[in-house]
Amino acid sequence: MNCVIERNSVKALGKAIHALSRIGNELWLDPMAKGLALRSVNAAHSAYGCFLFSPMFFKQYSLESGSKQGSKAIKCKLVMKSVLPLFRCLTSIERSVERCHISVSTATDRVIIQFFCRHGIIKTHNIHFQESEALQAVFDSHLCPNVLKAPARLLADMVVHFPLFQEEITLSITPLKVTVRNYQQGGKGPMKTTYTEMSLHPNEFDYFQIGLDSDITFCLKELRGILSFAESRSLPVSVYLDAAGKPVCFSVEDVVLEATVLLATVTDSDSRDHSQPTESLTPKISRCVSSPAQPVAVSQGPGSRSCTVPDELIPSSQRSHVISCPGATRLPDIRESTCLSVDSQEWTSSASSPASTKVCSLLFNALSSQQDEDGCAAQLPVLACYSDEENTDDNHPRSPSL
Amino acid sequence: MKFRGKITDIACLNHFTRVVTTISKLTKTCVLRLTPDHLFFILPGKVTNGGVGMWCQLLQANFFQEYQMEGVTSEVQEICLEVSPEPWSRALKTVQSAKSVKLKLTRKHCACVTVAAELPTLSSVGRVVTHDVPVDVIPRRLWQEFQEAGVPDFDVSVYLPPLKTMKSVVDRMKNLSNFLVMEANLNGDMNLKIQTDLVSVTTHFKDLGNPAWGVDSSQDGGPSQSRDPEVMAEVTVDIRKLQQFLMGQQVNPSKALCNIVHQNVVHLVLLHEDVSLQYFIPAVA
Repeated sequence: MNCVIERNSVKALGKAIHALSRIGNELWLDPMAKGLALRSVNAAHSAYGCFLFSPMFFKQYSLESGSKQGSKAIKCKLVMKSVLPLFRCLTSIERSVERCHISVSTATDRVIIQFFCRHGIIKTHNIHFQESEALQAVFDSHLCPNVLKAPARLLADMVVHFPLFQEEITLSITPLKVTVRNYQQGGKGPMKTTYTEMSLHPNEFDYFQIGLDSDITFCLKELRGILSFAESRSLPVSVYLDAAGKPVCFSVEDVVLEATVLLATVTDSDSRDHSQPTESLTPKISRCVSSPAQPVAVSQGPGSRSCTVPDELIPSSQRSHVISCPGATRLPDIRESTCLSVDSQEWTSSASSPASTKVCSLLFNALSSQQDEDGCAAQLPVLACYSDEENTDDNHPRSPSL
Repeated sequence: MKFRGKITDIACLNHFTRVVTTISKLTKTCVLRLTPDHLFFILPGKVTNGGVGMWCQLLQANFFQEYQMEGVTSEVQEICLEVSPEPWSRALKTVQSAKSVKLKLTRKHCACVTVAAELPTLSSVGRVVTHDVPVDVIPRRLWQEFQEAGVPDFDVSVYLPPLKTMKSVVDRMKNLSNFLVMEANLNGDMNLKIQTDLVSVTTHFKDLGNPAWGVDSSQDGGPSQSRDPEVMAEVTVDIRKLQQFLMGQQVNPSKALCNIVHQNVVHLVLLHEDVSLQYFIPAVA
């Protein structure tokens, strides 16, 4: 893969990387015919972000690596810590960078990012990558009963009232009112925390469709990145939401790019109840190369999300160790402490699915034998899986990827 | 016990926010004492604070367009609360464009001061933001700690140099030493001195002027006539406490002065038309 980005767009790319850095510690690069996708997911698999830059965004865009003709575009995974510092200071990038070249060198396992700056200065960064399957989440926004659309400014004005350390917020919508309030996990004494609530009327939104009164709790920190990106480009933000427990989708698009952030939500948002029990275990996550994979259908454009949305939820994933699992660590009856370790790849799936709160595992269907085999695709909360492009399966409906 | 205050004037809101922000930079928690005419933010000078004391007095009428309170009993028209000013400061800073801001004493899961703001919007229905900030009601038996300390029996009283200048001097000095000597005399001279094994640095301020306390002084604290105007009264203080005082200043005072009790305490006084802030820094033992 080989591409050239002009100066104004370099800042947009930098902002996208900033937004993704709020989500995960790794950055997936997926060069495709329809554009370059940058994706990230958090350790707990409860937040996913994807920025897709169409070929029009670039001055030049080519899938072939310079040296090897006919070689397939490599999908790679980079450590966010290596990439973020390159784009850390956006104002100085805006001032001095004239263009940016990004290319992938399979010979040396490096992604080469070159900044061509003023005064003839060229900064070249070689970043090691790991080849990886594409990271994708599957989400059908058409099936969401509630859709809001508003300028980024409005959403920013809603979240500005919450301090930067506020982890999670609850968004409630009814036909008469939209409210955001901070979500307080049990365990902290009431003395410690300020309770903040902000409400506004639905007619402030550019588009407001409500099929179902809902109350969803999700991580604010992971959202701030895309809001800041949307504000910088003055783009409207679309919010697709459903009942508590189903993921919420924030999406931004313009002619040359599409950005999406999917966040898991807490189910059964009895949000003030300090005893938030959480189903804290996920099935074993494995690369589903060998299993019937959700095929990667090429998304035709913003409108083409068309797959079934899963009806049930996988027992929840852990929140990452950065974001504490709502209630999970405070449950006296949590069985294994190992389940809280995000480093561990072995999570035993819990047999019971209590009606109590669960965090919907957003991504990464474990297509392992532990899966309930009689669940059809609609039953499985398959939101994403690793997959090879070539793997298709006629038994499973095509699902669009993001 | 009831309290409800409403600010609808943007300038008042701005001013109040800056006062609260200044307080929040000086201390993490303090006592808020409410009376029918005043609000006081008080930090009693205790050993636990390192002996630092603070007294900030606001005339309520200059900030609130509406103000109602009922004290703990019908005879005692006062309320004392232990508050953390930082969440207030954060809450107020984001509503600077509000049409109105109300502060109310409420009881939610615990006693709270609710900051409720109505934000302007193009639609017919306004946006409403509320912040419930938990507070602690202080029982009456502890109230005697929160009476005004009064002006100490000082040796020298002098006007302060511009706070910004002082701050930049103190910031640099902090890199060299933990202790700073403040001294001043009745000739309007003030020195800030530090001394280490390797170096001693003194910054001299001249012609600052000395406030005339005269008969207004509540105690026999007026500069004695017999005191030699050249003789310096000095106090050695922890430089970080002085720096903290200077860092937090958000309100430009119309008068800034300093009373020094030799080897005892520095009493800093900032006066604004509707706010007065006093800060006591004890001498280092």
